[in-house]
Amino acid sequence: MLKHFRILLLIYAITVLCACKQKAAPIPVIDFFRTPEKVSYRISPDGKYISYLKPYKDKQNLFIQSLEDGKERMATSFTDYSIRGDYFWTYNNEIVFFQDIITVDEIRMFALDVSTLKTQVIISPKKVRIAMIGRDKHEPDVVTIRMNKRDSANFDIYKLNIKTKELNPYLVNPGNITQWFPDADGKIRLVRASDGVDETILYRPNDKAPFKPIIANNFKTSVKPIAFTGVGNYFLALSNVNRDKSALVEINAEDGKEHKVIFASNNADIQDYQYSKNKHKIELVTWDAAKPQKHFLDPEIKLIYDKLSTELKGNEINIADRDSAENKFIIITYTDRNPGSYYLYEKNIGKLTKLGDINPDLKPDELCTMQPISYKASDGMTINGYLTLPLGSATTNLPLVVMPHDGPFGHNGWGYNPEVQFLANRGYAVFLVNYRGSTGFGKAFYSAGFKEVGGKIQQDITDGVNWLIQNKTANPKKIAIFGGGFGGFSALYGVSFHPDMYNCAIVQHGLINFFTYIKDAPPFLKPLVQMTYERVGNPETDANQLRAISPVFNISKIRVPLLIFQGARDDRANISELNQFVRELQKQNGNDKVKYFLKPRERTFFRSQTNRMEMYAEIEKFLDENMRVKP
Amino acid sequence: MKKQDNTYRKNFSLTIIFLVLISVTFIIALFVSYNLNVNYVENEFASKKIDVQEQTMKPYNNLFQNKIPEITSYQGFLDSASAAKYADSVFHNYNFVRRIVFYDVQIGNQKNSTVIKNKLGISINAIYQYWPKDGKVLGLRIWNTADEPDFDQMASKLSNYITLSDTAHGSSQDEIFRSFYDVKPGKISYSNILRREDVKILRALQKHPNSSSFAKQNMMTFFLTPDLLKVKNTHKELYRDVTIQPVVYDPPDNQAGNLITEAPLPGAFSDYKLYFKSGPDYLTTEINRRFMPIAALVLLIYCFLVLIGWLIYRNLSINIKLFKLQYDFINNFTHEFKTPVSVIKIAGSNLSGDSELSERQRKQYGRILNEEADKLNELMNKLLSFTQLENKSINIKREEIDIENFVKGYMETFRLKYPDFKISYNVHGVDPLYTDPVFLGSIFQNLIENAYKYSHPQKKELYINVSHSKRNIIFSFRDRGIGIQKDELTNVFKKFYRVENQYNQNGSAGLGLAFCKELVNFMGGEIIVNSKVNEGSEFIVTLPYEN
Repeated sequence: MLKHFRILLLIYAITVLCACKQKAAPIPVIDFFRTPEKVSYRISPDGKYISYLKPYKDKQNLFIQSLEDGKERMATSFTDYSIRGDYFWTYNNEIVFFQDIITVDEIRMFALDVSTLKTQVIISPKKVRIAMIGRDKHEPDVVTIRMNKRDSANFDIYKLNIKTKELNPYLVNPGNITQWFPDADGKIRLVRASDGVDETILYRPNDKAPFKPIIANNFKTSVKPIAFTGVGNYFLALSNVNRDKSALVEINAEDGKEHKVIFASNNADIQDYQYSKNKHKIELVTWDAAKPQKHFLDPEIKLIYDKLSTELKGNEINIADRDSAENKFIIITYTDRNPGSYYLYEKNIGKLTKLGDINPDLKPDELCTMQPISYKASDGMTINGYLTLPLGSATTNLPLVVMPHDGPFGHNGWGYNPEVQFLANRGYAVFLVNYRGSTGFGKAFYSAGFKEVGGKIQQDITDGVNWLIQNKTANPKKIAIFGGGFGGFSALYGVSFHPDMYNCAIVQHGLINFFTYIKDAPPFLKPLVQMTYERVGNPETDANQLRAISPVFNISKIRVPLLIFQGARDDRANISELNQFVRELQKQNGNDKVKYFLKPRERTFFRSQTNRMEMYAEIEKFLDENMRVKP
Repeated sequence: MKKQDNTYRKNFSLTIIFLVLISVTFIIALFVSYNLNVNYVENEFASKKIDVQEQTMKPYNNLFQNKIPEITSYQGFLDSASAAKYADSVFHNYNFVRRIVFYDVQIGNQKNSTVIKNKLGISINAIYQYWPKDGKVLGLRIWNTADEPDFDQMASKLSNYITLSDTAHGSSQDEIFRSFYDVKPGKISYSNILRREDVKILRALQKHPNSSSFAKQNMMTFFLTPDLLKVKNTHKELYRDVTIQPVVYDPPDNQAGNLITEAPLPGAFSDYKLYFKSGPDYLTTEINRRFMPIAALVLLIYCFLVLIGWLIYRNLSINIKLFKLQYDFINNFTHEFKTPVSVIKIAGSNLSGDSELSERQRKQYGRILNEEADKLNELMNKLLSFTQLENKSINIKREEIDIENFVKGYMETFRLKYPDFKISYNVHGVDPLYTDPVFLGSIFQNLIENAYKYSHPQKKELYINVSHSKRNIIFSFRDRGIGIQKDELTNVFKKFYRVENQYNQNGSAGLGLAFCKELVNFMGGEIIVNSKVNEGSEFIVTLPYEN
């Protein structure tokens, strides 16, 4: 008898040990969401220095490292406000940076002499926003900036001399220009005007000529100019005019007609590109298929990438910055299991040096892989998504957290996602879904989501969960849904209309009322109103439908435990309405089943580290409590 | 003896004082608790009206806090049809809403707006009125939009809010209430609450003076009537009659001495108050109802105290009796010791006084000393064995006794001792008894001695009868002595107890019968006494053959 007992005990001990090995040790919450130590790496045009931002007394300050002796020097020592991430090197090897003095609403623009480390204020206007939009190699002291000094609603273009602090207006905004595309010489011949929805590309042959519209788009089509090719009046652009998926094309600026297609992918929109100002050449284009994809248009760059990918196998690689000679490159890498690292690559000697990790506390081995998946929705449409399984041998019957993205006209891509990794580390399978209406898959897929909020969009999410239940990945008794904004709506909708599917829901800055969502379109911006009506619904003709799906009108349907986070200064949220919503829910379901965190000093996304940590700790606790067994 | 009487009397007066005291306390307690109860009920009459008011106002508060703010959720997109649906749900749940006026409002750059401030006009697009009829909602469009004071009031509040609110920090609850609500007697006006984003958009709209666009806004005025408000009297025991009356209602004729209190109604009903009325008897009934359990409790405590008092008193009196017995014992025992001691003393002094002793004298003194020493010894033995008996620390030394010889022996002894004592006996049909002869002898000794002692000099007679029944042997000692009074019968076997009379002034410790009883009990038998005063007593000792 005793012998049997001993054997049983031994078996039990072994089982427990095995179970421990299978389950990853929980990584502290803070490790996932910590602000990176060093960010915004840049290299000087002469290739002698690299610069980055690093906290000094809790504020981001500028540090410079000499590549000759490897010494790090602290260039600034601000203790009042951080330096903004959009600092830049001039062609004269000076650093220009901005400081946002929030209390007095003042932007200070500084120039830093690298040799002496002396800083001086260039301009410090109040109540304006400034951003750099172009530098000119031939006039290294002059930068092109946009600033809303004349009219707070409109940005004008100025030429600013860093040395003399001379500020000259270059382009006055008639009121609707939202984007400028400067040439390599700093001249602007191409601009984009927008009323919020409808976009017009305007062109002028030279500074003296007036702009004339050449291409008009509405919210269904888009043309994103890149740069002039230097041949004739052709410019490069990403366009989906007359095709389903955006492609890299050449457009004749004279008449806006498409001249030729340079590259097109047949399964996704071309989303990004890399352009060399030195060579006036587009080097590569990227798009998101299941994983990020690249197509090289420049053999030299392809050589560099090929070399790097042998050295940094398995990593996604991007060039973050380069010197004028295109010899030294700052490389940023990442994977789904790694938030990323910075490297310095010297082409002439083929040397790769690691500069630092974005989050050195995380070990890629302890994180989980993000697998692209796809399934057929109930009406036959193919839906893509990503599934992240927790570490360990178990791949079936896992507790599942569904994370529908915000938007709804947005996109989930492959890569490192701290929320996903956090949840996977805690033992949950995490499901991201690019339901119809998501961008990046072409116009047809995008417009398939029109007027489908609370309809087929939601059905796609439900179909995805059912698919995961059917292929035994998910434990049908342990499913939670978690999202922000429209994702929050999807969560509330899910628990209202599929109460048997989800154990609980977590909502961040949730969209609870579509009338509110629609009202965000200012009435004088008719196209935007039109777009909202077309994409989401018309509050007058579709009122019944909007009322039927808005959580605020369906409180009685919500019965599962809820966790709600909201920043009180979120411009788009109606706090009194949300408070009322929560109060009613608490009255109906009991206080302990509706946890509500209203943070008075936060906007849409929580900025304060304390609040973020509290939020994720609460999420962990909430899931822990509600994912044990379905009530 | 006098002392003892004093103790008794003191005890008695204490008892009386105690009884009087707790009785007085009882009456005071009843009186105070009644008065407190009266105060309490009167206070409740004044304070519980808040409960009634709260319960009565619950639907109103619900309407005000939950149903009306629902308009905001429509963000200004209500139209005549959806407003009718909304109005229907209001009429259905809140029957005191008599009608609703719905203003479909536009905020924009209209030139002919009703309220124009900072280039932003607020105007009425349409007005609809809804009212309930037979469970359905009826609606009517009002075409004349010129004279709408409710709208003007709300529009000016709204316009102020758009102009002045702080879009960077948001508005306080108070600011929101002041801007989007208008509560007047009989009606509530509400317009959907603007978010900061809405205000920003509206301000941006001001920058497009030529745009014909406008933002939609909903405004509703709810007309309420208190007549249909249901009074929920949650304290029927306090308020016989609760009615809703105008604030000024104050009937002068209150001859009946009715108790009256009132509570103002909040918000849109502030013209009215709740009027509570109760007859004078109504509250008295309630007071009595509440007082009954309290009185019962006080009475219970009183009874309990009396019981405790009685128990203490009984305890005390037993102790006093005991004390008296011990006092007697010491008294008597001293006497008993005194006699032989004084005889010894006389003999001693005679011995030392007489120069020469004759043979007769020597023998006489020797006998006297011997006898008196024996008496002392016997006394001490008696005391010792009695204590032993009480503590059950002696053993029975059994041997066979021939009863007839045994009785004869004692009879002879006593005839010698008391020549005037007439003792006769009868023993028939008894088996020999198997017991301790010393114990049995003590019983005989004591009972015979008593029979002699408590008899008139001419009537010193004793008849001893020994018989048997089944398993017992019965000894009966019948004398023709003074007898025992009926109320003393139970006491004669008590330790140190002596019947007070002329026969036992000295030489008795009051131990004899108690000792006998102890012995008999110890031997497993029992002793009883039958007696008649001046006729004689009969002591019957029943002992089992086997024990």
